[in-house]
Amino acid sequence: MNLQTMPMNYSIEAENLNLWYGDFQALIDVNVNIPHGQITSLIGPSGCGKSTLLRCFNRVNERYGNVTTEGKIEVLGKNIYDADVSLHELRKAVGMVFQRPNPLPISVYENILFGLRIHSPVRSITRTDADQIVEEALKSVFLWTDLKDKLKARATSLQLEQQQKLCIARLLPLKPKIILMDEPCSALDAKGTRAVEELMEVLAGTYTFIIVTHNMAQARRVSKECIFMFLGELIEHRETQVLFTDPQHEKTSDYVHMRYG
Amino acid sequence: MICAERIQTFVLQRITFILLGIVGIPVWNVLQKADAADTEAASALTPLNTLSPLLNDLYAVLSISFLAILFGIACAFYLQEWLPETNWIRRLVENVIAILSGVPSIFYGILATGIFFYSAGILKAIGVFPVPQNIEDGSALELISFQNDTPVFYIAVLVFILMVMPITIQTTQAALGSVATPIREAAYALGASHWQVLRRQVIPLAFTRILAGGCRAMSGALATAALIIGIYIWRYTTDPGAFSNRFVLFLSGALFLSIFSSTLIKLYASASDRFN
Repeated sequence: MNLQTMPMNYSIEAENLNLWYGDFQALIDVNVNIPHGQITSLIGPSGCGKSTLLRCFNRVNERYGNVTTEGKIEVLGKNIYDADVSLHELRKAVGMVFQRPNPLPISVYENILFGLRIHSPVRSITRTDADQIVEEALKSVFLWTDLKDKLKARATSLQLEQQQKLCIARLLPLKPKIILMDEPCSALDAKGTRAVEELMEVLAGTYTFIIVTHNMAQARRVSKECIFMFLGELIEHRETQVLFTDPQHEKTSDYVHMRYG
Repeated sequence: MICAERIQTFVLQRITFILLGIVGIPVWNVLQKADAADTEAASALTPLNTLSPLLNDLYAVLSISFLAILFGIACAFYLQEWLPETNWIRRLVENVIAILSGVPSIFYGILATGIFFYSAGILKAIGVFPVPQNIEDGSALELISFQNDTPVFYIAVLVFILMVMPITIQTTQAALGSVATPIREAAYALGASHWQVLRRQVIPLAFTRILAGGCRAMSGALATAALIIGIYIWRYTTDPGAFSNRFVLFLSGALFLSIFSSTLIKLYASASDRFN
């Protein structure tokens, strides 16, 4: 394998990543390479550090204070713990969708423009540009036909499924490279889950998706590669089908066959 | 459902306007009839200097409260948004504020009156302020209003700040805390800075509650001032005219602000909670 071309194939490369919340070590020596342009899922029991790992990738967990991180994470070939990294730019390139849909309590229209507005000078977005951006973003998440007459409605008044799709649409005008999803479907019903999964599959070529999920069927359905974590350690990282059918590690096998409590 | 809510809001608004009107009538009467008994300029009764002593009081009280409220809001922002919860300064200040805001406001009024009467001798000895000579029997107080060159003014300022600040800080902190974490997280994850999150999301959502908290604090302070003036009329003065005007003015101001603040909460803050 040609090592020279390696960095181009991976969106995220983490090396010897250790993380502590106070005295508690939440991540232990995690080494992971996440391939570009496909869906990777993170599975594991509660408290195993999968959300923590996800939140490292856009450094959003630093806000909680009392967090110590060691090691290196390269996002698109750049170490995000370097001193010259701007959190603004990092979070622009690495979008995040949360467990519970969290649209801002403003209109649908303004929700989609929010990211763009905070990243560009005041009044630099013209009305026609804005209209077009909103239309494109909503079209790419298949919400345009439902919402085109409700652009001025409060985003929090939509159905949960629409809210979650809006949360994805809100990232798109910033043209992120990577989208992190922290159990995006746990608040949705089967139909909503299906809709979000289909959306991910359509968008997967353009964006790198990393999805944390408790639902193993979902990991199996949507992801190409799968990472199993246990008590802060990365146990196994393989192609999803292989990981589920032929797990190498005993803990993985216990978990995927639901023998783990 | 929505229709019923709209009707309710409409009715509540009308009731509030009517209540505010009822409060406004005595204020208007006082302003109209105010005789300038507490100024030397009583001989020249033009409309302007008839009003001036009362407006002087009101002006002093409003500007002090405004500054105290602004300072209180700034403190609350610093405590809530910049200091971590484990910080010892934050814990100390929060505990002191919890105690101060729990004290019934009349104690502040009595404290102020006490300081004024008992320190009058000291103040006179130091000669810092022009203290009236016959202060002990109370008759000199008839000449004193919130003129900014009397000790009354400074003591009133201190006590107003002491009364208004804790409540403002508490309500502002609660208002900032009431903005749901997912909203902040969403904005941070889109790359917003702390200041952008505050300005674009937190402040608009918390604004009504902050305003209502400030009004409530001021209403308490005004009511206590009115109470002290009431006691003074009953105890000391033989010519209650000027003081009763002030009493009515302060009391109606307090009523106005308290109705205004609870209306704000009822009509607007609870509405924004639903989307929070």
